[in-house]
Amino acid sequence: MPAEAGPTKMIRIDKAAWDAMVAHAEAKFPNECCGAMIGRIDDGSKHVSAAIPMENAYAGGQGSRYELRPEDLLAAERRARETGLDLIGIFHSHPDCDAYFSKTDLENSCPWYSFVVLSVKGGKFDHAASFLPNADQTAAEKEELIWPKS
Amino acid sequence: MAKVLIPTPLRQYADKRDSVELTGATVAEVLGALTTQYPDLRKQIYNDEGKLRSFVNVYLNDEDIRYLKKEATSVASNDTLSIVPSIAGGSTGVATPPATLSNDEILRYSRHLIMPEVGMEGQLKLKNAKVLLVGAGGLGAPLGLYLSAAGIGRIGVVDFDVVDFTNLQRQVIHGTKDVGRKKLDSASERMRDINPNVQIDRYEVALSSENALEILSGYDLVVDGTDNFPTRYLVNDACVLLKKPNVYGSIFRFEGQATVFAYPGGPCYRCLYPEPPPPGLVPSCAEGGVLGILPGLIGLVQATEAVKLILGAGDPLVGRLLLYDALAMRFRELKLRKSPECPACGDHPTITKLIDYQQFCGIPQHQPAPEPGLAQGEIDPVEVKKKIDRGDRFLLIDVREPHEYQICNIPYARLIPLGELPKRVHELDSAIEIVAHCKSGVRSAKACDFLRQAGFRKVKNMKGGIVAWSDKVDPRVPKY
Repeated sequence: MPAEAGPTKMIRIDKAAWDAMVAHAEAKFPNECCGAMIGRIDDGSKHVSAAIPMENAYAGGQGSRYELRPEDLLAAERRARETGLDLIGIFHSHPDCDAYFSKTDLENSCPWYSFVVLSVKGGKFDHAASFLPNADQTAAEKEELIWPKS
Repeated sequence: MAKVLIPTPLRQYADKRDSVELTGATVAEVLGALTTQYPDLRKQIYNDEGKLRSFVNVYLNDEDIRYLKKEATSVASNDTLSIVPSIAGGSTGVATPPATLSNDEILRYSRHLIMPEVGMEGQLKLKNAKVLLVGAGGLGAPLGLYLSAAGIGRIGVVDFDVVDFTNLQRQVIHGTKDVGRKKLDSASERMRDINPNVQIDRYEVALSSENALEILSGYDLVVDGTDNFPTRYLVNDACVLLKKPNVYGSIFRFEGQATVFAYPGGPCYRCLYPEPPPPGLVPSCAEGGVLGILPGLIGLVQATEAVKLILGAGDPLVGRLLLYDALAMRFRELKLRKSPECPACGDHPTITKLIDYQQFCGIPQHQPAPEPGLAQGEIDPVEVKKKIDRGDRFLLIDVREPHEYQICNIPYARLIPLGELPKRVHELDSAIEIVAHCKSGVRSAKACDFLRQAGFRKVKNMKGGIVAWSDKVDPRVPKY
């Protein structure tokens, strides 16, 4: 093994937050859901303690698209500050589709947050992955995602 | 003084502060002051042309400045400016091809990366490759495990079957706990555990002439792990039509074969076998058995060829049929040539679209299932049991092989293996009723046909064989 592999980028999600994300994703199936994740960053490792489900504001068919209202994001940022936490990630679902970071996801993302994608198949959560878009939104790096496996 | 709230991810560029008090008459002035104080923030918010980045929204208190006077919007003291990204997305659009490996991936694939034949370039080829596995059974099991581990970026799996106990002797991607689950579920769970970087596309369907071209078209190459002739011809023809290599493998008892069909310039399955064998002539693994280890070996020959094709390394197994005999522990090779007369890939192909492969292989598409009732000359195991209990005068013959008789038997039955029936037919009395059984009813049906042709009139086939006997009459009899 190489002596140095660099720090592992990782995001860990608490059970309460995770349950809220999965419930939101399954409830919105077959549409995409979206929301924000709140928590802390310690030594580069992210820890999500709360999830805020948001309304999908995309004006067209929501089966394969989502859009966050900036106002909702602003409110989430405020709520995070009030509780001494930070807004650290965005989540959305891919109904009947794997949890990859699509071209659409990448081009409409931003480099500041972790982007967690939940794959929901037949209305049930299937798997998930987290991505870190680069500054120019031309590529996204995968980040290790740890969620409670109940 | 106006206050600018700094979003969490940008605080690292602003002395870790969550808000900054600044003076300025307009949004542009306040943001100018901010980026003068913290120059590193500038390229986070502005692009190279000095415009706000496309995803950056600025809010004055609760209002988006786009709906005010944009950056010329006046700012009063006690106003709060917030920087909010606009975020959207969706599953539409293909995943972007990765141009690099993450540090985790570099560590994971280090044994590949240090070999110049693979290296970073090869590993990225593997990561960007899309491979379709047809079947998650005997051959599909080792293929799924090793292709995931090797770092193939996207693996499609076609299977609609459920794991049963008889699979576990060879289908190592499924475990005892998975019996009764969909093979797709247990296989994809195992593959994801081995390598979470792999995207797994699940197709819970029987591959058919209606869906094959659509499913196959999304992949670079196809690995055939099927166990029946109709699907094998279907996969071959679809690969020829789509010009995608078909990594072929087959297994039976102690012997296996592998080759790569439909490679540019190489032969296809129809060059080797233009027509399928008559139905029933070639027994399936369920009928003839298979050494559990064998699909491991043949499946990994296929996996090796798949990886080599993606890397463009070595000599592909094209135009060569690899034959393996486990008992002799010997590999042989037959030369295969592309046939100019081949109906699929020859000079004048007649297969220009997918056909009805069930019919082509002589198998009725929708077998009218005589499930509740019994066909002529059949008898239900329950009735056979009643006859035995009543002491009816009849003969029950078991036409299976002696080693099968050792696994389980019906004590009342006399063992006459199907192959010995012609020379032992004199043992039978045509005056008394004869009931024949085997494992599931196929061989005993042949025995009944033979006996009828030999002049026996009172002949019945025990429907469902000893498996049905175990289900309906005596659950102590093991199923195999």
